[in-house]
Amino acid sequence: MTESNFSRRRFLANAAAISTVGAMGISALSSCSKSGKPKVDLKLPPLLDQAPDGRPLKAGLIGCGGRGTGAALNYLSAGPNLSITALADVFDDRLQACRKKIKEEKGNEVADENCFLGFDTYQKVIDSGVDIIILATPPKFRPEQFAAAVQARKHVFMEKPVAVDPVGARSIMASARKAESLGLKIVTGTQRHHQRPYIEIYKRVMNGDIGDIVAANAYWNQSQLWFRKPQADWTEMEAMIRDWVNWAWLSGDHIVEQHVHNLDVINWFTGSHPVKAVGFGSRQRRVTGDQYDNFSVDFVYDNGMHMHSMCRQINGCANNVSEFLMGTKGYTDAQGSIWAPDGSVVYTTRNESGEVLPELQKNPYDQEHVDLVTCIRQDIPINEAEDTAISTLTGIMGRISAYTGKEISWDEMMNSDLWLGPKTYIMGDTGIQADVPVPGTESQS
Amino acid sequence: MTPNVRKPGHRTWLVFSLGIIAGAILLILGNRAVEYTSTDNFCAACHVHPHATSSWKLSTHHDNQSGITVHCAECHLPPHGDGYLREKIRLGAKDIWGKMTKDTSEFNWEGKRSVEVAQHFTYKTSCIKCHDNLFPLTLSKDGENAHLYYTQNKDELHCINCHLQVGHYDPRATHDQNLAFGLTSEEKEIYTEPATVDSFIDFTEYIPQSSVSFNMKAIPGGTFTMGSPANEPFRKEDEGPAVTIEVNSFYMAEIEVSWDEYLAFYSQTAAEGRSTDTEGARKNGQVDGISGATPPYGQPDQNWGLSKRPAITMSFHAAETYCKWLSTVTGKKYRLPTEAEWEYAARGGTQTPYFFAGSPKKYETKGFWNKLFGPDTTVINTYVIYVRNSQMMTQMPDRVAPNPFGLKNMLGNVAEFCSDWYSPTIYSQYNNQKVSDPKGPESGTEHVVRGGSFKSDAGEVRAASRDFTHTDAWLKTDPQMPKSIWWYSDVRSVGFRVICEFDPTTGKPVPYKTNKKTEQQTSPN
Repeated sequence: MTESNFSRRRFLANAAAISTVGAMGISALSSCSKSGKPKVDLKLPPLLDQAPDGRPLKAGLIGCGGRGTGAALNYLSAGPNLSITALADVFDDRLQACRKKIKEEKGNEVADENCFLGFDTYQKVIDSGVDIIILATPPKFRPEQFAAAVQARKHVFMEKPVAVDPVGARSIMASARKAESLGLKIVTGTQRHHQRPYIEIYKRVMNGDIGDIVAANAYWNQSQLWFRKPQADWTEMEAMIRDWVNWAWLSGDHIVEQHVHNLDVINWFTGSHPVKAVGFGSRQRRVTGDQYDNFSVDFVYDNGMHMHSMCRQINGCANNVSEFLMGTKGYTDAQGSIWAPDGSVVYTTRNESGEVLPELQKNPYDQEHVDLVTCIRQDIPINEAEDTAISTLTGIMGRISAYTGKEISWDEMMNSDLWLGPKTYIMGDTGIQADVPVPGTESQS
Repeated sequence: MTPNVRKPGHRTWLVFSLGIIAGAILLILGNRAVEYTSTDNFCAACHVHPHATSSWKLSTHHDNQSGITVHCAECHLPPHGDGYLREKIRLGAKDIWGKMTKDTSEFNWEGKRSVEVAQHFTYKTSCIKCHDNLFPLTLSKDGENAHLYYTQNKDELHCINCHLQVGHYDPRATHDQNLAFGLTSEEKEIYTEPATVDSFIDFTEYIPQSSVSFNMKAIPGGTFTMGSPANEPFRKEDEGPAVTIEVNSFYMAEIEVSWDEYLAFYSQTAAEGRSTDTEGARKNGQVDGISGATPPYGQPDQNWGLSKRPAITMSFHAAETYCKWLSTVTGKKYRLPTEAEWEYAARGGTQTPYFFAGSPKKYETKGFWNKLFGPDTTVINTYVIYVRNSQMMTQMPDRVAPNPFGLKNMLGNVAEFCSDWYSPTIYSQYNNQKVSDPKGPESGTEHVVRGGSFKSDAGEVRAASRDFTHTDAWLKTDPQMPKSIWWYSDVRSVGFRVICEFDPTTGKPVPYKTNKKTEQQTSPN
């Protein structure tokens, strides 16, 4: 088995810790060596503009909503000889709309017998003779579907987040390791890993350009997100799934569903994950569902570093979606610039008018599929599942801390049997209690 | 100027070449010898322990779907280049010494198959060398959780913590949830009423709706010195300063809670599934005396036998729940002893290291003289089950004679839970004044464990010796997430003993009331 991501993360952390010693040793021996971090494998994706040609690759899409349809289009644009041959969803209108859209925009037709409706038809897509599985349902269903895809030895693109509870996140970790040992290629929808400005900054941070990272911030403050009110002819389950970004058991709440991107950047740049969290949160303006609409969480990493995370979905407030990392030799916003401690720009991904440099402009939603197909066709290792599971679990840890008002540790997350949602999925009543958690009480999630 | 150097002559070359050839032959022979002495045949030629070869042939390392045979040295030595020769010399020397100087028929082979011992001659690096993929597609859900846990705690875990029987088959081993444990259909006399006790005398308690009874000894209260003097051999810092303690009278069980007793509780209250097994699944206050332990994982009695052998591997929480349950069904207030009550009872009126004669130095295996010739154990053997006479497992209580209070196995067999939180400095907080019935610190993280066990050497079975629960370590290999609150996975040498409270004003045991109203009135706020 290749070394696990856990170990790689530790290795990166150790590499950072010994970098000073290493640099001193090297400069003592060689006057021309530049001080910096020792070379480690950054595991960067290939980042080609287009995937190379090769054997035709067939993909099956599970979850035909907005993001699923978008992912399908991104995939079909990634290179030559790519097709989508099977679709699954729980709603026929969503499936047909997706089917129509990829036909109109990409000329990709899906046969009637390969369109599947129902909660458990993902297995039919997996068994339909495809090479790649695209998972884009609400994240609650991801662990089970990912496990099935890996079991069938399929390459996978799956959306973030990858779980809504600790049981699901650990399932992804285990499946990720199975995929690793099989050499399957797994890309997750944490597209900042495929966004060239982020990668340019990441390379420089790993080179020691801001020194050791000592503090970080992560933000996703935006306006109200979409919601759908229940309709008379919908069952409770249908109403929840059509409104899924507002239900904790389906989305994990927005600190997991959306803010995972920013938490993931801090984990990625530090090569680590928090060991504990204390958070606040509440529900002020959300219309449907049982979620909060604002969180503020203090995460603490193993080396004592703090990351402050905040996320909000409320209209008419200050918005900000970004990351910030403070280092001993400078600081960065992870995608725009690197500054020296005196505020002077050391490096930037922008031109004078603030636009991203042309060579860094590739759309990351396309890039992640280009990278997946390139890695499959050129047999380059790529498996982002465990890292994304760790970042998902980071968000879950923050959420539970805010919901309960308690300090929550990573060890608790790795041992928790918290499982959200109904035990079985049927289009009917769910038995879910739509209580909004109150900190300091016996709230379970 | 050219220095006068003699060119090497024919003779020199001949000697040199012969030397190289001889060296090469020696190397080859040496290598052959190393290889030969690592073959199964060589091992079996000398290895006198019964069934080693046959149990290996029945194991999955000999008989498996893939037709691969794993040989003795592939598990019982590290891989080449990973300390192979060093370990070979160490184990070889040990084996030869043992063969030459000891009577192999008296070896405790069963004990050597325990994780504690086996890890000294079974190598994790060797397991990993072959099993380098811990997440094969065939891995079950439980396996995923267990291996994920392993990857996060590699330093503390050995593969054989969970996979102990893979090299030597044990038909009695269970590696699964053991739903059948302790369930028996034997027909025996069923007691309907608990004992009626009207005075402060020894009595026999009957557990209603079961065929189980056990003896209680009346322990008259008194004053004693708790802890040990600074010059006591093998004394540890937490045994002092010695303090004067007064304890009231109480009844104490003659023997450690037996499997018979514990299984009466288990079979009457056990939860059927594991839904209530875990901390996360329950809210505070949902656990009462009636909701009992869940089925264990594996074989809690280690196949050493049930009946009157002390119950082991149940958690502190389980022991406390047992006491509550016992109080409910007998109507008498049973509980774990406090640490002071325990030591008072263990001493039986003596202030010496043991309640019998002899110095710990005399009985301890440590020390040059005793190591070489073996300690003189005649006296201690009469009273204590400890490492020298236990065969590394629990023994029946009738193996030992009681202490002056009539209590058996206070010092050995299994260590015993006390109700106090553990603090290494608690004695100094008693301020060297006479203290009456102390209950230990108000809060803490681990509970006191007293008395040595079948694993202890003589220094640890002294009356003053203290220990405490090691909750994390004792649950190390529990494969469940979260871990069981009822069973420990990694300790086999701890049990408990009950006491029954005595009320001097009535001259009877303190009655136990389950009346909800009473509880509400007495609870603060």
